[in-house]
Amino acid sequence: MPNYGISGLQKALSLSKMTESSPTQYYSLLQLQELLRDLIAACPMSQNVWIVAELSDVRESGGHCYMELIQKDTNTGQNVAKARATIWSNVWRKIRAEFVQATGQQFATGLKVMIRVTAGYHPQYGMNLNITAVNASFTLGERERRRREILAKLKAEGVYDLNKQLEFPRPCQRIAVITSATAAGYGDFRNQLLLNDKKLRFHVKLFGATMQGTQTAQSIITQLDTIATEHDKWDCVCIIRGGGASTDLDGFDDYELAANVTQFPLPIIVGIGHERDITVLDYIACRRVKTPTAAAEFLLSLGDRELSELYGLASSLLQIANNSISGARQQLAYISGHLQMAPVNALHHAEKRLDAATLSLSRIASTRIQPLRANLDRMADAIANATTNSVSRASMKLDSYSVLIEALSPKATLKRGFSITKINGEAITNASQLRSGDIISTEFFEGSVSSTVN
Amino acid sequence: MAKPVNEMTYTEAVTELEQILAYMQGDKCDIDKLSTLTRRATELLKECKTRLTATDEELRGILSQLEEQ
Repeated sequence: MPNYGISGLQKALSLSKMTESSPTQYYSLLQLQELLRDLIAACPMSQNVWIVAELSDVRESGGHCYMELIQKDTNTGQNVAKARATIWSNVWRKIRAEFVQATGQQFATGLKVMIRVTAGYHPQYGMNLNITAVNASFTLGERERRRREILAKLKAEGVYDLNKQLEFPRPCQRIAVITSATAAGYGDFRNQLLLNDKKLRFHVKLFGATMQGTQTAQSIITQLDTIATEHDKWDCVCIIRGGGASTDLDGFDDYELAANVTQFPLPIIVGIGHERDITVLDYIACRRVKTPTAAAEFLLSLGDRELSELYGLASSLLQIANNSISGARQQLAYISGHLQMAPVNALHHAEKRLDAATLSLSRIASTRIQPLRANLDRMADAIANATTNSVSRASMKLDSYSVLIEALSPKATLKRGFSITKINGEAITNASQLRSGDIISTEFFEGSVSSTVN
Repeated sequence: MAKPVNEMTYTEAVTELEQILAYMQGDKCDIDKLSTLTRRATELLKECKTRLTATDEELRGILSQLEEQ
């Protein structure tokens, strides 16, 4: 670019003079534009200066990169400055590669960047900032700073961990997917999930959302709200985005979106972008995976674990049932073995018991009957003695009676001189009983005589 | 009477399976109940597996859906 420095200033001075004089003299538009061009080019403060701005409407054409640089009011979000900017192809090739390398993302709309620009004014196209260098570490730091800010806010509100603490339901089969309907990532996800070789069953429904640009957060929040109204129909939510072309992840580093995700009633799996792309959602989602395919793999692993557990239970049950049966069988065998011996043993046992009983009986006899028998013996003796005594006593009594009886007998009377008179063998106690001529006998103590009554 | 397996949630079914297993592992397992328990466990297992995995017919349906897209 030629240097118009001095001549531009001179022209500017002469122009200012001219405005005070009569309007018979004038410059052409081109002359004015060239004046402005020269003025800007002559100002060293507009050349190769570092500025911070937000990228907007970034597009590539003919190897060059065109964009708008904007600055928003931090409070209102309204644009307060705007300028066109260009990166010429020779610089663009280098910057593009280096930027992706350093930040893990494309030089694209929505990013806040620190760039070195040279202001230029073209008579036909107007003001343009030519970008000659990009400070990638600023963008990295800027994103990091924003992310930390959001995370800190979530922590302060006590919601940071909420989604992480949720557990995936058992089984986890009904999957609400938030992604762009047209994205290749969704197809991959569906294929991977539905055509698994374990035949695990899944129900997948798409909740279409814009997955790049400034609408991203609001669009995802809207679909989260939809899912929340029917959350009992779903086991988990997958927010996924296939790699694809332009990667613009700033839309995901959004406080509102993050707050919605942390407080969502279902566990959320986030799989957006590539290996190096990290967003706020990666910190707070219940599960973070790198790609949609990895999200499908994770869900498959949950199902697989469920199946294995089921098979484990089945084989344990089988083993225990078998063990119980074989245990019972062994018990039966033992019993039947012992059953054959049992009668013999029982007889033997009974015999022994009988013997023992006999023995103890005889022992009882000797210890108990013996004294009784001795007692009996003693009693027999006593009885014998008693009998003898009483007989002798009676005999003595009899003796005394016989003496008495003898003393009272007729013989004794007869002996004393009395006699008995009898007729026909009968004693006569009255003389009137007798008549003359009766023959009577008189008995004496010794002998008798017959006589005839006169 | 035990709840019909198709009216149970998956978690309920698995919990009951685990209970049956624990009972059968315990000392108090009655051999008379073994066949009832095993039958019940088989029903539960079958139901759980049916819920986890799709039949070939269902898979064909899914496949044709995917091809349509």
